[in-house]
Amino acid sequence: MMVPTTETDTNNNKVLGGRFPFWNPIFRRFLPDSPFFSSGNIERELLAKQENLVVILRLRGGHAWLVNGGERNEGVIYCPIVNCGAKLNSLDGFEDHYHARHTASCSVCSRGYPTSRLLSIHVSEAHDSFFQAKVARGIAMYECLVEGCGLKLKSYKSRQQHLVDGHKFPTSFEFFKKGHLSKKQRQKYQRKRADHKKEESAGMEVDETISNLVSAVSKLSTSDSSPSSVSFGRRHTRGLTFLPRTLQRDRNHNSSLGGEKG
Amino acid sequence: MNMADHKRDPVKSSVGNTAGNRRREIAVTVGKERREALVRAKRLCRDDVDNKEMIIDDDNEEEKAVLNSQTCQAVQDLKSCLVYQGKGAVTKKIEALRHLRRLLSKSDVPPVEAAIEAGAVSVLTECLSFGSPDEQLLEAAWCLTNIAAGEPEQTKALLPAVPLLIAHLGEKSSMPVAEQCAWALGNVAGEGEELRNVLLSQGALSPLARMMMSNKVSTARTAAWALSNLIKGPDSKAATGLIRVEGVVDSVVRHLRKADEELATEVAWVVVYLSALSNIATGILVKSDIFQLLVERLATSDNLQLCIPVLRSLGNLLAGDSHITHVLVAGSNITEQVISALIRCLSSEHRVLKKEAAWVLSNVAAGSIAHKHLIFSSEAVPLLLRLLSTAPFDIRKEVAYAIGNLCVAPQEGSGQPNVILEHLVSLVSSGCLPGFISLVRSADTEAARLGLQFLELIGVNLLAVASTRLRENKVMRGMPNGEGPKLVEREDGIDAMERFQFHENGDLRDMANGLVDKYFGEDYGLE
Repeated sequence: MMVPTTETDTNNNKVLGGRFPFWNPIFRRFLPDSPFFSSGNIERELLAKQENLVVILRLRGGHAWLVNGGERNEGVIYCPIVNCGAKLNSLDGFEDHYHARHTASCSVCSRGYPTSRLLSIHVSEAHDSFFQAKVARGIAMYECLVEGCGLKLKSYKSRQQHLVDGHKFPTSFEFFKKGHLSKKQRQKYQRKRADHKKEESAGMEVDETISNLVSAVSKLSTSDSSPSSVSFGRRHTRGLTFLPRTLQRDRNHNSSLGGEKG
Repeated sequence: MNMADHKRDPVKSSVGNTAGNRRREIAVTVGKERREALVRAKRLCRDDVDNKEMIIDDDNEEEKAVLNSQTCQAVQDLKSCLVYQGKGAVTKKIEALRHLRRLLSKSDVPPVEAAIEAGAVSVLTECLSFGSPDEQLLEAAWCLTNIAAGEPEQTKALLPAVPLLIAHLGEKSSMPVAEQCAWALGNVAGEGEELRNVLLSQGALSPLARMMMSNKVSTARTAAWALSNLIKGPDSKAATGLIRVEGVVDSVVRHLRKADEELATEVAWVVVYLSALSNIATGILVKSDIFQLLVERLATSDNLQLCIPVLRSLGNLLAGDSHITHVLVAGSNITEQVISALIRCLSSEHRVLKKEAAWVLSNVAAGSIAHKHLIFSSEAVPLLLRLLSTAPFDIRKEVAYAIGNLCVAPQEGSGQPNVILEHLVSLVSSGCLPGFISLVRSADTEAARLGLQFLELIGVNLLAVASTRLRENKVMRGMPNGEGPKLVEREDGIDAMERFQFHENGDLRDMANGLVDKYFGEDYGLE
């Protein structure tokens, strides 16, 4: 609160006291939630709602996912890996799916994890007897799941508690859910592992197929142009009903790959 | 500038003309409906594909009740699917999820409360467990997205699912799944500070930052949007954390340089928050090419949605005074480009652009004398003068700051300001005085103060050497013959000031009294 006074200077002219708030050119800065910005913010949200409808309508083509503007293919395809059959929207989708589902899974129990780190934590904790031995000796082996935390705990339960206390995880969270597979599924996996030890027959052996595809898919790049002729074949077919052109180029011999199988 | 102008790849054969028309139709309908709605930071994931039904009538109570009970049933079905271990279990689960998802996507106001009460969140969380098929993850995340888009209490109810949603952002997840999870998390972050803190402490920042760096447009765009909600503060920690993630600055620059307008818009909003909240972020950003890219976008784009955050980013980056002098060297090309782009915004028909451009210009005008000269000699001045007379109040206030800043040199301390006479004389003679007086009259305290401060500038300055101009052009302080006050009087300035002599606001009262006393006191009119 200032009280500008008027005094007289030596020329008997009145001057405003120094406490008048003279114009001072300063930089004015506003915080993001300042009312100054609110009308601009409103514009943004209105369009966002309209935008969502535009995105969703593009699903009319029968795609299951939200489509990005750069997609090259319109067809819907199903993952050719035996026992998978996941629905995919394009070649891009296949590549993504393949990297996710068929390369980041636990080789023992086939659970897939969204990061390599989580996968390796799972493998150590669920399938590694050395891990269990160390735990038994009282060494802190259970890593905190939040990347960057670095803390290790002595038991699954105490790690759980740390997540709740230190990272605000809900108490209902469970990293490892037991009994995930039904008896039937467990038998299937055991059979699969047994089969793997047998000699490979030409072509349709799942593991060879997978290893061929692994090397080929790893050579796919997002800037690859789409194959000139790809038939998406019949739906729900097992085995390989198509191979993207690049894969055909790279696979070495198996001529039975690419054949149709009922 | 067209708001509904979405430029997509024209080769999209699956979305034909009819779909395009329908899209525009619906966009218009929603636009009208939504104008009265609350501003939301959350986004619904909608699906109008099924049943040919379009938007459910929100006012129809009966329809709503039906929808609610269907939702409740759907959740129960899903629960039983989770228990069932027999043949086709996975497919059944996915179908039940899809059914629930559709119910949650039908209307502008989905039956979120019904879903939550039926226990949807814990069941959906279970559906997110590691190893589940992609389609299951996607549908579950979609349901959660729309639940999170509801009321605050409903968004909070999503907490049990959050760690898994964050985990599925991982680099091994399929892109659509990761995107849908990012969308859901963006809605959670948009709710408020408390939830933002939970997300940050659970490690949501890095994976979203990584997704923003993706080459895939939709991924980068969704991630950028979610990030903008996550870092918007008010705490600056998240913004500072984000700028430090390796590769973020490069990818922000890359997107601003090359991306289509939609992606650029979302990234620009990230920059808005980075620059508004974190000085560290601003320091890092101004060292990159970002300034140039922002200016270019502003100078060339007709897209209002893009221009708003771009302009605001520029404004934020410039608002720290050291940044003006480093980045906007007067006389350099970039400075002229900035002024030019701001002029373009001032000439636009959009209120927000005019107001915020005037704000940014006022900050540039608060810089060095060279900056003031540059603006003064540009086409900005006629525009500013016109806006000062005719524009809505909020724009006029910003324009007043700009004009006033042009007339006063930068100074240390709080003594009497150094007037730039040439500018002041020219602006007043071009008729800016009525605009300032009208601000003095306004109900807004800040505006009134501004007006009075400007009037002070044009008070009698007997020590100044007056230039030889015609009477009408002489201004209050610059003229020894008391012309200044006469000019003010002619514009009813005295009247305006007198209002404030009795004003309830003590500061304004004192200001007004001081001015009146000095310039219109007992000696007035005696020559």
